[in-house]
Amino acid sequence: MRYKSQSVAYWYFAAAMVLFGLQLVFGLLSATKYLGPDPLINLLPFDVTKVIHTNLLIVWVLTGFMGATYWLVPEESRTEIHSVKLAYIQLGLWLLMGVTAVIGYLFGYGAGNKLLEQPIPHKITIVVVMLMFLYNVGMTIKKSGRFTTTEGVLLLGLGSAALLYLPALLHYSNYTVSIYYRWWTIHLWVEGVWEMIQGGFLAYLLIRLTGADREVMEKWLYVIVGLVFIAGILGTAHHYYWVGVPAYWLPIGGIFSALEPVALVGMAIYAYSALRRSGLAHPNKLALHWTLGSAVFTLFGAGLLGFAHTFPSVNKWTHGTLITAMHGHAAFYGAYAMIVLAMIVYALPSITGRKEGGSAAGYWSFWLQLGGMFGMTLSFATAGIGQVYLERILGLGYLDTQLKIQVHFLMLIATASIFTVGVVLFIYDFFRHAPRFHLEPEDDDLKDRPTGNLRAETDPVKYG
Amino acid sequence: MNKRQTRLFAGAATAVSALVFLVLTIDSHRQFGKLTNADNITPAVSRGKDIWHAKNCINCHTLFGEGAYYAPDLTKITQLRGNTYLEAFLRDPSKFYDEAKYRRVMPAQNLSDTEILDLIAFLDWVSKVDNQGWPPRPILVAGATIPGTDRTVAQQQSVAATSNTQAATAGSVSTADDPVALGQALFNSVSPSCNACHSIAPGVNMVGPSLAGVSARAQQIISSHAYKGQAKDVAGYIRESIHDPSAYVVTGASYSANGISFMPNTYGQSLKPEQLDYLAAYLGSLK
Repeated sequence: MRYKSQSVAYWYFAAAMVLFGLQLVFGLLSATKYLGPDPLINLLPFDVTKVIHTNLLIVWVLTGFMGATYWLVPEESRTEIHSVKLAYIQLGLWLLMGVTAVIGYLFGYGAGNKLLEQPIPHKITIVVVMLMFLYNVGMTIKKSGRFTTTEGVLLLGLGSAALLYLPALLHYSNYTVSIYYRWWTIHLWVEGVWEMIQGGFLAYLLIRLTGADREVMEKWLYVIVGLVFIAGILGTAHHYYWVGVPAYWLPIGGIFSALEPVALVGMAIYAYSALRRSGLAHPNKLALHWTLGSAVFTLFGAGLLGFAHTFPSVNKWTHGTLITAMHGHAAFYGAYAMIVLAMIVYALPSITGRKEGGSAAGYWSFWLQLGGMFGMTLSFATAGIGQVYLERILGLGYLDTQLKIQVHFLMLIATASIFTVGVVLFIYDFFRHAPRFHLEPEDDDLKDRPTGNLRAETDPVKYG
Repeated sequence: MNKRQTRLFAGAATAVSALVFLVLTIDSHRQFGKLTNADNITPAVSRGKDIWHAKNCINCHTLFGEGAYYAPDLTKITQLRGNTYLEAFLRDPSKFYDEAKYRRVMPAQNLSDTEILDLIAFLDWVSKVDNQGWPPRPILVAGATIPGTDRTVAQQQSVAATSNTQAATAGSVSTADDPVALGQALFNSVSPSCNACHSIAPGVNMVGPSLAGVSARAQQIISSHAYKGQAKDVAGYIRESIHDPSAYVVTGASYSANGISFMPNTYGQSLKPEQLDYLAAYLGSLK
């Protein structure tokens, strides 16, 4: 840790860990309900466990994004955070929002709009927290006068994420119109600005871990951002296929979402070639696992599995089945869970004073999570293919179809349990060492490298 | 490419895509009214939408294929089930599907009668939105488009063997039970079972004609000159068709010949009058 205020990140990460653990509790509960009968049906029905499962995901990933940004910005801008106090108030308010929302869901309070179930006071709090966060980070950079491309991409991503949440605050009397704007938030988050955030973290990690040339990495980061938006913005159309909008969204969705994997292939090549070409061996190999893992799993979950059902002629049959759950789990995990975990694993040794190389539990956690999530993806895929064939093509009733694919739900629970073991190990490894916020001696980004083929960071764009 | 050029590429790509997206958004707004029949969004439809949200329906069901995958899609449900059916179902879903058999059931939502009507009005508005003809084939809640494909031979034989007891049970439960729910159970359990020859999916004509939309057809038949039977209303027509299949024959090579229906004429003896009423209530509720 080079800057005292970076210790803020630890508390964001710690909160993210607890929420991640809780997310899995509700995920497992939801999965067992697929087997049924459900003894908790009147106490904790599926809709409640599912809404908590997805909302906790959004809250912990965003907590991780904010924590990782508070870690990254002092290093990139070489200064302390503008207001540490504001960062803690922001975390407190954010967690209060998250926890009361979940308690509300337990008692049936919610807006009932998929992924945007937060009641209006909570939605307003989310906007306030995002503004506090952007202000704090913006002021930090302004004061330092050093603004890197990586930071720029990251901040633009976070700022747009806040902006795109605004349509969710409005009320629409037409259900189709409300669907139209719901995707401005959800799709443009996960297939647009969140990918920018992921790209920003990826660039930061690759520069630090592999010693890749900053100029080259940031140049390609721009290319990736360009590709993400060419495909991502008009790719929103793949959510507009069957919801009551004009028919021209069908071919637009087909063409542009077919392009979405291009940016993700770019991202994976970017990470792999940075690793290949660097002459540097950073001791934190575990962080490198998570970084490369995120790039590769995103290509698999978001790229390949998204592509699998994105053409209108295919989607006509697969839409609204467990095929979507297959893609959703792998994509969210690879792109967003893994990049946050990568940032945490990278930052942990200097926040807690543990060894850089990573522990055995850390490696077990990585492989168990990866294997478990891969198995869960296959379980949803096989269940989904069965469902499409039996329910949509043969015309077997929904309930009868679900009975015939029970074995895949057993497989889902088995693989989800493996995944859970991996996550529990990660959380255990996180909390095993108490935080120790000691400062490393000032450096100029060159001295602490074991080998140095690094050029000094150039082209710091002056702010303002 | 140098860094300045790639930055320009990122900026231009984003700006152009965003611009095209905004233009298409404006054009979509121009068409939303017509595609969604926005004029038909009555206060009841709006109230129904609020109930849909308040009860968190989207986190089990899908609508336009969007939502959770734990319960059936409801986009076109009002085109498959009439109000009578949906009202009875929403009052107590557990009467219609056995949790022990299907391993899941919808929890009772404690809706008032007005709320139920509002919710149905909302779902009916949804079913008429022009959504590029999705789903391409009807999504059934239970059973099968081609009856029998949901069960093995052994299961079907065991149902046939126990059907008399089941029918008796279904007929003897308390009158508080909903006749539509009882009719649905009888449809699959009487001997020989109705679903051996009749599908309830639209357009699926097997040995017997599809019973989807039978109530609308019955209305036309009894008011036509060709009809010589006794029935005065839809329920009467359905009862008559069950106990006296040849009273009015639907033409079709596999349905009838020389004015005699091929349907077994044994139901008049094997079913109790109230069981006929239940079947009529159920079939009359199909759209």
